[in-house]
Amino acid sequence: MRRYLGKRTITAIISVLLVLVINFTIIRLAPGDPARLLVGTEAPSAEQVELITKKYGLDKPVYVQFLKYLGNLVRGDLGSSYYTNEPVAKLIGEKLGYTALLTLTALLIAVLLGTWAGISCARHIGGGLDNFVGSITYVIDGFPSFWLGLMLMLVFASVLGILPYSGIMNIRENYTGFRRVLDIAEHMVLPVATLAILHFPYYFRISRAAMIQTLGEEYMTTLWVAGMPKRRIFRKYAFRNAILPTVTAVSIHMAYIVTGSALVEIVFGWPGMGSYVMQSISRRDYPVLMGIYLMLSVSVAVMMIVIDVLYAVLDPRISHATRN
Amino acid sequence: MTRSNDKIAKLNENRHLKLSGKSPEKRERFLRHGRPHAHAHGARRKAVKLFIRRNSRLCTGLGMLMVLLFIAATAGVFSPYDPQALSHDMVAPPGAAHPLGTDGLGRDVLSIILHGSRISLLVGFTAAVISAIVGTLLGVTAGYWGGRVDALVGEFINAFMMMPTFFLILIVIALFGSGIGKVMIVIGLTGWTGNAKVMRAQAMSLRNRTFVKAAQAIGESRGRIMFAHIIPNGIMPVIANTAMGVCTAIMTESSLSFLGLGDPNVVSWGQLIYNGKAYITNGWWICVYGGLAIVFTVITFYLIGDGINILLNPKLRNVM
Repeated sequence: MRRYLGKRTITAIISVLLVLVINFTIIRLAPGDPARLLVGTEAPSAEQVELITKKYGLDKPVYVQFLKYLGNLVRGDLGSSYYTNEPVAKLIGEKLGYTALLTLTALLIAVLLGTWAGISCARHIGGGLDNFVGSITYVIDGFPSFWLGLMLMLVFASVLGILPYSGIMNIRENYTGFRRVLDIAEHMVLPVATLAILHFPYYFRISRAAMIQTLGEEYMTTLWVAGMPKRRIFRKYAFRNAILPTVTAVSIHMAYIVTGSALVEIVFGWPGMGSYVMQSISRRDYPVLMGIYLMLSVSVAVMMIVIDVLYAVLDPRISHATRN
Repeated sequence: MTRSNDKIAKLNENRHLKLSGKSPEKRERFLRHGRPHAHAHGARRKAVKLFIRRNSRLCTGLGMLMVLLFIAATAGVFSPYDPQALSHDMVAPPGAAHPLGTDGLGRDVLSIILHGSRISLLVGFTAAVISAIVGTLLGVTAGYWGGRVDALVGEFINAFMMMPTFFLILIVIALFGSGIGKVMIVIGLTGWTGNAKVMRAQAMSLRNRTFVKAAQAIGESRGRIMFAHIIPNGIMPVIANTAMGVCTAIMTESSLSFLGLGDPNVVSWGQLIYNGKAYITNGWWICVYGGLAIVFTVITFYLIGDGINILLNPKLRNVM
């Protein structure tokens, strides 16, 4: 197990390095001079452009810039935004909170509903409910996330007019205290619903498949033959074993949480990471883009290792298998 | 499934040819058992019916694909207007002149949707084929070679798999410009990891099969074994995965277009929705129909991919 973990860690480090290199090359080779963008659009003088280029080290060869960047990274410095001059780490931290609020709520709902539906359907495979939910998940898989968001917006904000269109709070009223929380919650409903609907099929399928597999195990028959009530078998034994893959799925999902919600955030004007990435792209704010991308790949890499450990803890058979 | 039934049918036909005009007892036996030709025909029809019933997903998907291809091929004939022609009828609701209404610049939504099918299919196929080729080559190399090569290539596959690809695509397209060719290549070059994993596993299991051992024994080169034996025998799961890859590619292209990063010179569904977003309150038809077209196409390829997987592994039929 330890050896296996070591191997996984090496993969993770390679992955992060790969991301760093790809990221850096792509951004430096791209057309569009960041120095020019920084001085502004109103007829910059040549000296100003030169000054900015020097200040940010944009005149040095690419590999020097890369080594400098790596050196700064080791010291925990992600650089600062070309646009606002604030440290990237701080900017990411600010936006991450909003994204986490949105996506974690949606994830919670999707996991609960998906698992519940999956387990209920697994008890009666091929039944009416099973076929019905199964076809719904198929259709949901075909939905582009931004389109589903727009459709919910159309129905609930435009036609019915019961929920706000977009944003995070009502900026006309200056709510405070509990009313403010309620306001934010109201604005959260549509984006959270969009994300929850999109994630639902995943958890439905995983828990359904796991439940079907568990119910087919021999020890289930043994318990049944021994005379244990079906409900008790289901609650106490089948459920616990069938929930395992869902736990892993949730942790994989956590790693990709930022990328998954980007488009939905943009549709609903939610001030999180997704919207921020779009902003940074149009501003050619390289340090921010690299910082976000790096953070994403590190979080994915770390999550993958966590998943392996978690899996081995939850299911001891696996650590045996990897040892041999 | 059909192949075996076809074989039986063929055998029956041949037997009929062989035996007719031979000894009378044998002819009589044939007469007792009915006309073999008609029987074979019935069996074939039955087999086809059974195949369709058992593989309803695959067949539905293929049927829907036919519809899509037909639409893409005849878009120039059936669309009532030029998809890029502007008119004074801006944000006109669906009616006699414009069956699905017009967008904010007076373009006919139906024409855009019909013509957009070409771009979606083109992007989907090209990107998926690129990723299939890259994935197959890397996967087969890692899986068949084994040892250090596998450690190196396998590690590369794993590392690439961990990278968040949509952000990568987003950044590349935003910085390098958004020609449709670039979009296809970038999507293709970032989506191969699944194919590589599948092909690697296939190669690892095929490596130990007798026919591969035999090829090795008679001294065939590694390259020949990989291309003539391993890939043809292990490609089916990659094809199923590629059908799913078409969905991902179409989704990614429409997402890019929706973010305003699509090729401005082509007619695409994502751009239709991007342009229609501003009219969501007073022109619902722009977004709704554009999205329905995407949903239809994506489901088509999901059905095909799932269908092939079930065909390859009938056990899945109970689980999926």
